[in-house]
Amino acid sequence: MATASISLRAAGRTFGATRALADVDLDLEPGVIGLLGPNGAGKTTLLRLLATALPPTQGQVRVLGLDPEVPAERTGIRRQLGYLPQEVGFPHGFTAFAFVDYIALLKEWTQPAARHAEVRRVLGLVGLSDLGSKRIRAMSGGQRRRVALAQALLGSPPVLILDEPTTGVDPEQRVTLRTLLAEIARASVVVLSTHQTEDVAALCERVIVLDRGRVRYDGPVTDLTAQAAGRVWLADEPDPAAKVSWRTGTGRYRNVGTRVRDDVEHVEPSLEDAYLLLRGGSPEHEPAGEAAS
Amino acid sequence: MTGWHLDDDTLRRYVERTDSLAEGTSAEQHLLSCEPCRDRVNAAVGVIELSPIDFAAVWERTRDTIEVPRPSVLERLLRVAGLPAHEARLVAVASAFRGVWLTGLAAVLAFATLAAAFGHARGTWLFLAVAPVVPCLVVASSYDPRLDPALEPELVTPYPALRLILLRTIAVLVLALPVLLLLGLFIPTEEPFAWLLPAVGFVAVVLAASTWFSPLRSAIAVSSGWLAVVPLLAARSGSPEAVLQARVQAAFLALAAASFVVFLARRRRLTQLRPWR
Repeated sequence: MATASISLRAAGRTFGATRALADVDLDLEPGVIGLLGPNGAGKTTLLRLLATALPPTQGQVRVLGLDPEVPAERTGIRRQLGYLPQEVGFPHGFTAFAFVDYIALLKEWTQPAARHAEVRRVLGLVGLSDLGSKRIRAMSGGQRRRVALAQALLGSPPVLILDEPTTGVDPEQRVTLRTLLAEIARASVVVLSTHQTEDVAALCERVIVLDRGRVRYDGPVTDLTAQAAGRVWLADEPDPAAKVSWRTGTGRYRNVGTRVRDDVEHVEPSLEDAYLLLRGGSPEHEPAGEAAS
Repeated sequence: MTGWHLDDDTLRRYVERTDSLAEGTSAEQHLLSCEPCRDRVNAAVGVIELSPIDFAAVWERTRDTIEVPRPSVLERLLRVAGLPAHEARLVAVASAFRGVWLTGLAAVLAFATLAAAFGHARGTWLFLAVAPVVPCLVVASSYDPRLDPALEPELVTPYPALRLILLRTIAVLVLALPVLLLLGLFIPTEEPFAWLLPAVGFVAVVLAASTWFSPLRSAIAVSSGWLAVVPLLAARSGSPEAVLQARVQAAFLALAAASFVVFLARRRRLTQLRPWR
């Protein structure tokens, strides 16, 4: 049996008395895998585990067949890894080129000509070819996010871990980034967390929904969306029978409920409907109003 | 028009564009007024095989000039000191080497030096109080995670964090100690370098303490402790020579050695490496 690119077995992580992640079993192969979940669900903890920024406190993690607990193997993983953390700070006074060049140095690109060419390549991939000499503090939030993403792409790593890569990025650039990530995922494992269900729907073949540190769903995006079939309907008023309701741009209310109903005006469910249903239908769910807000 | 004409070598260099700016300008000037030479140029262009211009390489060099950050003074100094260019860059990026921070410490040090130079015993005590804590504060700020905005992406690169910390520590010492030694020459005391062993001892203590606490917190604690002890020593002994006694200096040397042993034994517990201890 072939070894998965990334595997987790009963992996968990606690911070003091707080359990951030528990009993996670996953096998990840090349492709784009989306992580969905509310704030505090454990998405960032899981990504930090995969990126070797954090060790698990329970279970085991293997990346490309290597054990991050072993220092030499951890370094081996880091040589083949691109990681975009949720928040990236930039050293004072750095330009986009200088920052990516600095990370390239830490990634052992010691030969200047090759390094500079690689820095230009990744800045080009994220649409910042012409802004290499611009100071990062003078950039917009979306541009800064793309600089941070560029450093993760250095060396075309076979494993790419991205924590909310499209935050602050404008719609046009998001589409460009989706195209880029889809291309990268032909040969690499791309794991990304996001709150944007439309990114997952447009980009990922597989989605993992985390809630309170546990995997609530793991499977194809289409299967998750199909779970909401017959459970999404439009009405002129919020339906008390719905788990979640919100007013749409047309002035009508979109209702998502757990029971399949025949006496209402059904609409095509989206991934967001299915996600809300999954969370709202849980015995541990948050109040419907909160999810809809 | 004169009887002078471009010789064959000059003409060849002109056609090949391998002449200097001055020679090319001179040749161009002559060609404007000399038809026979222009004819020779036209004939030569067809004969001499021109080396193709590598526009891609020219463009790369142009972009390098615009985009590649110029090395800072510190980075150049580190290169001169023998550090490879890429490691000099990695060391120089540390927040400890920012202008504001260094200027502040230099101002404090300059004040202490002036006080020592003109204030006799009290001034010398002030210098003795300040000089040893400067290196340990700079060392701590060179690798404190809270001062490193890009810590998370740095953390998961293959470059060894321990090597980076030690390189930055050595860089601080190599750069700070000569300055302090120079300033020490202005101190009116028999032994102007009495602070040297305390400084080395405190740096080692900060490294060792960083395996339990944050580097900057460790440095602040060590500095505060020393700044509290110095007035007591001054009140008790009166003369700065108290610090010069062989047993006091030996104690600082022992402190440095013991702290460094602790640091080496616990190096994997440094904040940057702590997740994987």
